[in-house]
Amino acid sequence: MKSQSLLTSIHPATVPDSLASHERAEIDASTRGPVLLFFGCSVFWLLVGSLLGLVAAWKMTHPGLLDSMAWLTFGRIRPAHLNVVVYGWAFQAGIGVALWLMARLCRIPLLHAKLLVSATLFWNLGVLIGVLGILAGDSRSVEWLELPGYATPILFLAYACIGVWAVIMFRYRRPGHVYVSQWYLLAAFLWFPWLYATANILLIWQPVQGSAQGAVNWWFARNVLGLWLTPIGLASAFYMIPKVLGRPIHSYYLSLLGFWALALFYSWNGMHHLIGGPFPAWMISASVVASILMIIPVITVAINHHMTMKGHFEALKWSPTLRFTVFGAMAYTVVSLQGCLMAIPSLNTITHFTDYTIGHAHLGLYGFFSMMMFGAIYYIVPRLVGWEWPSATMIRWHFWLAATGVLLMVGALTIGGLLQGLALYDPKVSFQSSLDFATPFRWVRGISGFLLLAGHLVFACLFVQMLLKIGHRRTGPALFTESKTEAASL
Amino acid sequence: MTAELILIFGGMLALSGSAFVAFCWSVCNGQMARPREAALTIFDDDEPVGLPTDRFPSRK
Repeated sequence: MKSQSLLTSIHPATVPDSLASHERAEIDASTRGPVLLFFGCSVFWLLVGSLLGLVAAWKMTHPGLLDSMAWLTFGRIRPAHLNVVVYGWAFQAGIGVALWLMARLCRIPLLHAKLLVSATLFWNLGVLIGVLGILAGDSRSVEWLELPGYATPILFLAYACIGVWAVIMFRYRRPGHVYVSQWYLLAAFLWFPWLYATANILLIWQPVQGSAQGAVNWWFARNVLGLWLTPIGLASAFYMIPKVLGRPIHSYYLSLLGFWALALFYSWNGMHHLIGGPFPAWMISASVVASILMIIPVITVAINHHMTMKGHFEALKWSPTLRFTVFGAMAYTVVSLQGCLMAIPSLNTITHFTDYTIGHAHLGLYGFFSMMMFGAIYYIVPRLVGWEWPSATMIRWHFWLAATGVLLMVGALTIGGLLQGLALYDPKVSFQSSLDFATPFRWVRGISGFLLLAGHLVFACLFVQMLLKIGHRRTGPALFTESKTEAASL
Repeated sequence: MTAELILIFGGMLALSGSAFVAFCWSVCNGQMARPREAALTIFDDDEPVGLPTDRFPSRK
């Protein structure tokens, strides 16, 4: 398909009626540059974020570690870790996967690749300036929005390009059904700029006063998880699981129910982070009710994924994509139900302000989202570079290091956080003792950080080998030479 | 403070409202009809139902 100018994209009258027989290969080829650029940058930031997180984790047990320089103190390293992982790794991996999925599901070659390449460069410039700003002491002290004000417009400009591109792609899609993954992606693409702009206006440019800042902060932070990262993760799962297995999703109606329930109710969730805070009770109550309503989309998604996999779990042995994706899907169910329970005030009283919340966040961002992204990248990259992953053993190492690392981390923080919370709640226990309860579990968290970093190094090594096409030429998934013979056995 | 909270509450309502508008569009546009057909849109002649499309790389 010929590339079109941005202006002619405003009206889809020029969409061709039919595509060539090599449609899918052409679509994949058209996404190669922007998607690999996003993936490459995300892998770089993943390594940086892992290092920063590891240092922050060990500072919890060794407060004097690397404290001779101001930029390495906990107050700077920790927000730098969060923002690098969220805006450097998760956003860019998510956007890369979303671009590829959008092109495939719209069934048209990717339009305006230069727009996306520019967006990538601006986005990375914004993240780099922002993270250096945090390390230099310019953090804004608003969780998830710590990047300094001079980095924000660059990020917004970059995102605007991506948002415009998504609308154009959707407008030019081939006629027919909008697959459930497309709904998730379109929602994510449109909601994020809304959230980001609103939060920046109300917190930075025309800041609201007093405790209302907390409300805006958690409305934003919660919705970035639920209305940006979650839709992209689930879009990937709803494509990868049926596609890898070669069988349609168990119930398409259930998948739509899950999407629309998330879309209608999720934006009300954020206030449950402020239970006990100086806010009108009706506002907190509405948020608690909406959080409990989240059980509906979570259960529908879980049932759908499980029933699609039912009878085919042996596929986890031979598909790297499925192994990561199913792990992510299971983590989604657990972390979402955990989130619903944490909105119940009696439990929230115990877990709030403890490591339990940190464990919950890591299960969501790593156990669910990052594992989904790893799975998708293992599927997408061979189709873009025309080369197979060089080592199954290294992929297995990556999986087990990542899975063990995140389970160890979440387990330690969950148990340690509960003990810490119960101690904080007990008037007979001193505050110092409540911290002492959590210390052994923070050691475990630090050790798990090494496992995750090792896994990421293996993954980065694999990714670079793919880009450079290093090693023996291998056959398998991307070329489908063997998989056709597997069809009969399924 | 009250005005600010109403503003925030309005933002929450607006997000849900946008989803509701999209939902109405999808119903009117026939997106809720023929779910079986919709579930099959990710398959085609080259990668039909029944064909797995991923496995660990193997040395040939």
